[in-house]
Amino acid sequence: MIFAAPWVLFALAALPLLWWLLRVTPPAPRIERFPAIRLLLGLMSNSETPARTPLWLLVLRCVVAGLVIIGLAQPVLESGAALPGSGPVLLVIDDGWAAARDWAKRVVVARTVLDRAERAGRKVVLLATAPAETGAPPSATPAMDAAVARPLVEALRPKPWGVDRAAAAQAAQLAKAGAVVAILDGLEGGPDWSRFAAALASVGPVVEMRAEDGGTRLLLPPRAEPDRLVVRVAHPVAAAASEVAVAAQSADGRTLARIVVPITGGATSAEAPMLLPPELRNRLSKLVIEGSSTVAGVVMLDERWRRRPVGLLAGDAAAAGAPLTGQLFYLRRALETSTELREGELAALLSREISVLILADRVVPDGPEREVLANWVGKGGMLIRFAGPKTAERPDTLLPVKMLEGDRQLGGAMSWSQPAGLAGFAPTSPFAGLAVPAEVKITRQVLAAPGMHLADATWARLGDGTPLVTHATRGAGQVVLFHVTANADWSDLPLSGLFVDMLRRLVELANGVTGGDEGSTQKLAPVETLDGFGQPGAPPAVAAAMTAAELARADPGPRAPPGIYGPETARRVLNLANRMAMPVAASAIPGATFEPLGGIPPERGLAPWLMAVAILLLAIDMLASLRLRGLLGATAVLAFLLVAPLAQAQAPQLSPEENPARGTRLAHVLTGDAQVDNVARAGLIGLSDYVNRRTAAALAEPAGVEPGQDDLSLYPLLYWPITAEAPAPTGQAVAALNLFMANGGIILIDTRNGGSGEGFSAGAEAALRQIGRGLVVPALAELTQAHVLARSFYLLSEFPGRFAGDAIWVASDQDRSNDGVSPVIIGGHDWASAWAVDAQGRNPYATIPGGARQRVLAYRFGVNLVMYALTGNYKGDQVHVPALLERLGQ
Amino acid sequence: MSALARRAEALGATLPPLLVAAERVAATVAQGVHGRRRVGQGDSFWQYRPFLPGDAVNRIDWRQSARSDRAFIRETEWEAAQTVALWRDGGESMRWRKGAPVEKAERAELLLLALAALLIRGGERVRLLGSEGRAVSSVERLAELVARQPAGEGVPPEVPLPRHAQVVLIGDFLAPLEVIQQAVGRMASIPVRGHLLQVLDPAEAVLPYEGRVRFEGVRREVSTLIARVEGVREAYGERLAAQQDGLRAICRAAGWGFTIHRTDHPAESALLGLYTALAPQLGRR
Repeated sequence: MIFAAPWVLFALAALPLLWWLLRVTPPAPRIERFPAIRLLLGLMSNSETPARTPLWLLVLRCVVAGLVIIGLAQPVLESGAALPGSGPVLLVIDDGWAAARDWAKRVVVARTVLDRAERAGRKVVLLATAPAETGAPPSATPAMDAAVARPLVEALRPKPWGVDRAAAAQAAQLAKAGAVVAILDGLEGGPDWSRFAAALASVGPVVEMRAEDGGTRLLLPPRAEPDRLVVRVAHPVAAAASEVAVAAQSADGRTLARIVVPITGGATSAEAPMLLPPELRNRLSKLVIEGSSTVAGVVMLDERWRRRPVGLLAGDAAAAGAPLTGQLFYLRRALETSTELREGELAALLSREISVLILADRVVPDGPEREVLANWVGKGGMLIRFAGPKTAERPDTLLPVKMLEGDRQLGGAMSWSQPAGLAGFAPTSPFAGLAVPAEVKITRQVLAAPGMHLADATWARLGDGTPLVTHATRGAGQVVLFHVTANADWSDLPLSGLFVDMLRRLVELANGVTGGDEGSTQKLAPVETLDGFGQPGAPPAVAAAMTAAELARADPGPRAPPGIYGPETARRVLNLANRMAMPVAASAIPGATFEPLGGIPPERGLAPWLMAVAILLLAIDMLASLRLRGLLGATAVLAFLLVAPLAQAQAPQLSPEENPARGTRLAHVLTGDAQVDNVARAGLIGLSDYVNRRTAAALAEPAGVEPGQDDLSLYPLLYWPITAEAPAPTGQAVAALNLFMANGGIILIDTRNGGSGEGFSAGAEAALRQIGRGLVVPALAELTQAHVLARSFYLLSEFPGRFAGDAIWVASDQDRSNDGVSPVIIGGHDWASAWAVDAQGRNPYATIPGGARQRVLAYRFGVNLVMYALTGNYKGDQVHVPALLERLGQ
Repeated sequence: MSALARRAEALGATLPPLLVAAERVAATVAQGVHGRRRVGQGDSFWQYRPFLPGDAVNRIDWRQSARSDRAFIRETEWEAAQTVALWRDGGESMRWRKGAPVEKAERAELLLLALAALLIRGGERVRLLGSEGRAVSSVERLAELVARQPAGEGVPPEVPLPRHAQVVLIGDFLAPLEVIQQAVGRMASIPVRGHLLQVLDPAEAVLPYEGRVRFEGVRREVSTLIARVEGVREAYGERLAAQQDGLRAICRAAGWGFTIHRTDHPAESALLGLYTALAPQLGRR
């Protein structure tokens, strides 16, 4: 401990004087009112010694004075280590992207270094190693006082680009300093690391400080594969096995999906596939490492990762769009929800980047048009063609197989044959696994000329083996032919759901739009750029507009900060990890003393604490004096001393775990999957809060229960999310659940994959079947608007959760056991995600297809559900009101 | 105040009904409502007795006499009551307590009302000295009057009293002796018999303070600084004893009683003291 102002300590010599003064001065008299004052007037004390200040008060006051004097001398608790060498100190601070993770710690360390330099009377040379926002390369400041350097250090911010080791090395060599303190990010940051290290070592003795725990994780741009995104994470400083959670977010910051990327011990990179339905993939706007607050944890996505635009073109453009009969009508209906559709002339369509082109009975004559198309297919386009009268008449050469002229008719007045059905798909076909509905019949088709490779080229065939869908690879692209029309003239295929699935499979098969408009000369101006902490903001002044090709080649830097470029229609993003070489952990600087970043506690001034203690003692002294003068009752003093510390400890404390029998509360069945359980809990918390705000019901904090272990009779409603991995419940659990249902409990079973959420939570149906085997489930019927559940609080016509559009199943009306209250409600709308509320009160899970209305309806369904669970069929009478009114009228 | 009245009733219920010994019963005294269990003037029937020679003929009760051969005289019960005027010091010096659980004024009011309850149960008439209006017949009414009475100056006010009435004065009587003597002498000359009860806080009795204390009057009119209270405690005790001796002398001169009550002592003992003082001739009757 040292004193910043030691001369003040001489005042301690005055303490004995203070002691003497306090001792000879009598204390102020107490003041007493006294009715018999008349009897006291004129009485003189016959004792010689007047009352004295009590000894303990005297000591207290001298202690206060001593504390104040020592506090004014500004004692500082030193952390030990001193600065190396002599002369000015070169303070090197890495302020590239890798320093953003623990920036606050770095600033604290830099402050400590400045404090030490100030006390030692040494000047400071400051060197930040990343290029400045102005584009200037790193350069050392002249030697300056620590007080002057302090605001410069405070103003430093981590940059969203890397450090420039070469320029920093040069600057370090030029700096006139005698010692080096380097606060480094632990990465080499380029090929010039050894030069940089040598340059620092040549200045003087070096103290190197770097974080000893792991390092920044860098999220790399994902690899787009036909049906998935492969999320990649770089982890330069190899460490023990761990895992990273990556969230896929939409433009409004909602999480659409979340995966956990496992990192094996010692590895420096890891990857994991993220499976997304096309609707969601098209809404992706960025990937974020959860819990990371640096630019390295953010990857923004643009069209290159998302879209497969589909061009539509019909032979007869005028009639193509006609409802029910047009060539394009069914194509549009099948694709418009999952992809971006474009229509127009062939030249206009191909002028922009598209990945799939569908020609519906359009003949491509030889000539320039055919050349253009063949060229496009050769470069990776997918051409899907539908047959029709025109194609049957004049088959052109841009077809996967050679065609016979004319068409074949199956069934009809003049034919012996019957309309043909579809055969099952071969396992090698991209349609493998799709169910073939029996009602799809083909009445007319074009015929492929028999040949050696026809079987290989066939992806779908009729029951009699005739090819229905054929394909051929042309260069990097594909040509696919449906041997029927795209409308319902020749077959029932466009009317069936199979048609939608087949088209989606084909579109997913197509190459995404990659590379983009590389040839475009349009300059894209920066719109929104990220700072070092990954927060979006206005672009810096020196950020330049660039063409798409330049952006693809750009290294992030002051002139090209990571962010979004270009107008709305041609968005491009530049990510930090664009073209970046895999970051490498840096070796130690030769001859340097190593200090961990968090190891040095910052120097702490003791003066404020001493002053605080002195003030506290003064307050006690004041209370004691008042007490001695009789102005304050003893109880008041005691109460003050007791209450004063309590006044701070008034922070709201959650009441400890309460008896579940006290208060009504919802419950969810613990699935064993922590993620699902957390969502269920967050959902029930959100719903309970909503119910408490909107209704007279008062729900307590929800509970997670394990059937068979916990007493279920305390809960009116159980929410049970089904996971694919869920084990079949034990006999004990089944018995408990059956008893729960028989005694009036309600279970909401959620498969979390219904309606618009199809594709999520695969395998939940099978799990549900397995789980439900032992449960006594009554006969089920679809939940309709006439059911009590649709009017137990709000009048509802649909019952969405996070997803919408699926049927919900309740006990059928005929079942009059349990007062007609359905003991089980089965659906797949993932209600808990829609109800879930995070710590900030936001809804973390986006609704699909989306909209605030869907969220409100989800909550309303929840309120109805709770009311249904609490009041049973009480509102059931309402269902009969029209009938009752009618009867009354008669 | 009704709470105080209830407590006073409860306190009064613990003693036998108190009959004030009236030394003289004059025909001019207003007729009360309670019988003396003996023949006398009054409205209530007492007994029939045979007509004896010497009785006035107009006293024969003809209705009763007609039922038999003999003539009867109807005798009524002797009814008499005396007015007892009560007073308690409501001054600021009474609104003070230090070593006791209650203020002196509160104790004084309690004693006053308890005494009144006893007297009313015994059939006496009670009035509050210093408040206009006639005698009251219920403790509740008296309690209201007490509550409404202004603070006063520490000595009983000058009001006309019937001759041979009784007076009970309750207060701390710390005022100069001349003032008190004047007031007592004025009443004794009516003539009125009376009793004086000094109510003191224990702190006034023993002066328990220590150290350096500045004493102030209750209205902060005077103050005195005493460096060490321990040193003057003895002298104060002597002065207080002198004051009490003076009061006792004044009372003796007027033929009145004088007792001292401390607020940390039970109120029942003080009430018993007043009881015995007011009914000295009870045993003789």
